[in-house]
Amino acid sequence: MMKIGIPRGLLYYNYQTFIDSFFYELGCEIIYSENTNKTILDNGVKYCVDEACLPIKVFHGHVYSLREKSDMIFIPRIMRLYKNEFICPKFCGLPEMVKNSIPNLPPVIQDTLYADSKTVLKKWAFSIGEKITNDRRKIENAFSISLKKHKDSKKGIRDKNYKINVALSGHPYNIYDNFLNMNVIKKLNRLNVGVITEEKLNEEYINRQVLNLYKKPFWTFARNTYGFTTYLAENSLVDGIIYISSFACGIDSVVIELIKDRIGNFPFLILKIDEHTGEAGFDTRIEAFVDMIERRKGIEDNISASW
Amino acid sequence: MYYLGVDVGSVSTDIVLLDKSLNVVEELYLKTKGRPIQVIQESFKILKSKYDDKQITASGVTGSGRNIASFLIGADAVKNEITAHAVAALNIDKEVSTIIEIGGQDSKIIILRDGIVIDFAMNTVCAAGTGSFLDRQAERLEIPIEEFGDYALRAKSTVRIAGRCAVFAESDMIHKQQLGYKQEDIIKGLCEALVRNYLNNVAKGKEIIQKVFFQGGVAANKGMKAAFENALGFEVCVPAHYNMMGAIGAAILASEAVKKDEGTKFRGFNIAQSNIIASSFECDGCPNRCEVIKLEENGIIIGCFGDRCGKHSGKIAV
Repeated sequence: MMKIGIPRGLLYYNYQTFIDSFFYELGCEIIYSENTNKTILDNGVKYCVDEACLPIKVFHGHVYSLREKSDMIFIPRIMRLYKNEFICPKFCGLPEMVKNSIPNLPPVIQDTLYADSKTVLKKWAFSIGEKITNDRRKIENAFSISLKKHKDSKKGIRDKNYKINVALSGHPYNIYDNFLNMNVIKKLNRLNVGVITEEKLNEEYINRQVLNLYKKPFWTFARNTYGFTTYLAENSLVDGIIYISSFACGIDSVVIELIKDRIGNFPFLILKIDEHTGEAGFDTRIEAFVDMIERRKGIEDNISASW
Repeated sequence: MYYLGVDVGSVSTDIVLLDKSLNVVEELYLKTKGRPIQVIQESFKILKSKYDDKQITASGVTGSGRNIASFLIGADAVKNEITAHAVAALNIDKEVSTIIEIGGQDSKIIILRDGIVIDFAMNTVCAAGTGSFLDRQAERLEIPIEEFGDYALRAKSTVRIAGRCAVFAESDMIHKQQLGYKQEDIIKGLCEALVRNYLNNVAKGKEIIQKVFFQGGVAANKGMKAAFENALGFEVCVPAHYNMMGAIGAAILASEAVKKDEGTKFRGFNIAQSNIIASSFECDGCPNRCEVIKLEENGIIIGCFGDRCGKHSGKIAV
């Protein structure tokens, strides 16, 4: 049985259901890298080019951990997820970046994906499937089952029964990698703060928000985070916005300014993540932000708000 | 009856005692030097000679070392620096609308309206423009940091220094020195560069309106105060205990926390004599490999922290 290595990084967090199901249906054994941890981070930093952002570095660490366990490693070149848009250019060059940085890799599945229509997506799935089996019916079957599973899967977070709620925004791999974001969701929950993420907002509302921009957003992630945060702020559906951004992210640097510009003085906290594992600075910002929201809301039945 | 406030910062550890009406009756300012435990013990030795444990009715901690300090002294309130600074400033003047706080490694802006924090920002991953950088430059120029501000005030003209990055600023300063500019002018230029960096970076997009409080260790630097006033076009107020504001805030927060609980958790000044050892180990319970810090007093574990899952920190009820 062919062993397919799946790095748990970057867009794995969005498409894990599809990826898992597709390779399973094709009859592969799936080897996942572990959840991000210190060893993966250290190897990522060691093997990746220095200028890359943290999520890219961590991805290198995930690939590294798989290199001796798998027959092939899945690192698709993802170009597009939405019509007339692009995603971060680092995704376009990801297979080359990884292959030239990590020695002795097994073959890499790196088929280029423009996922803006079902036809193109299917073609992509076939080009991968054919590396594994000659049975076209099997591939067809794997594709349709996986697509359905992906559509039916639960995506995103929407906490209930919290006094304070914040929109948690940013690239999905920063939001869902609990090692990189130092368990921000758990931290917030512990401070009695609930979280909602962009998957829970109907795409229609997101797309309507960006119509006001002087130019259509070029990046899919930028459209999502901009539309999501500004819609929730303008309709007072949350008490604040927390944006997790990796240091040196180009897309974030633009979209954060656009969001600020639109929401005025609505509570907005940017958490920058990089290699540091010291949590003091992170905790200070989160706690102070929650204190501020409590005060603004006038919640008085709590020590932290008693002054 | 006193309220104890401790602010364990990256560069200094500040300790205050407030009386019932929240006036400062005692203040200690010590360099942390990366040894927060010893510094707290040292200061408690000083306090012990003057005060009795029973006189302390509440204790609060803040600062980046607040975790370790809270275990050590037994704190009723453990609060972040932003809230602590805001509380302390509001206690002096209810009308304060902006707080500029520059400490050893952090710089912050806190925006208040009608006595409520409505917005804040901190420097991101880089410590350019904070106290540590000024310290380093003073050392390099062989001028005591206490006199740095006076030098800036004596300047007749300004030399422009790049302020965006500490490394660039330093090389820029060296270049200007080599060209023969006067030291005073260069120091004034450095103050202006740091203020420019602060206003364009930390305070970007924030509406700075009067009354402005300038606090934190760097507020001691008259050159920085003048540079802020020059850039903003109005008066900036440096409160009397500018370098103790975090500790004062922690003490006030503690005084309020203790009202709701029963009695203080303060463990007494005697910890000054205890044999306290902090050690760290890498937990091998899971691949996260957390660096856990263990605090022992006379051989008994009094606290653990630094683990993500709570396996160690959850064990000890403090």
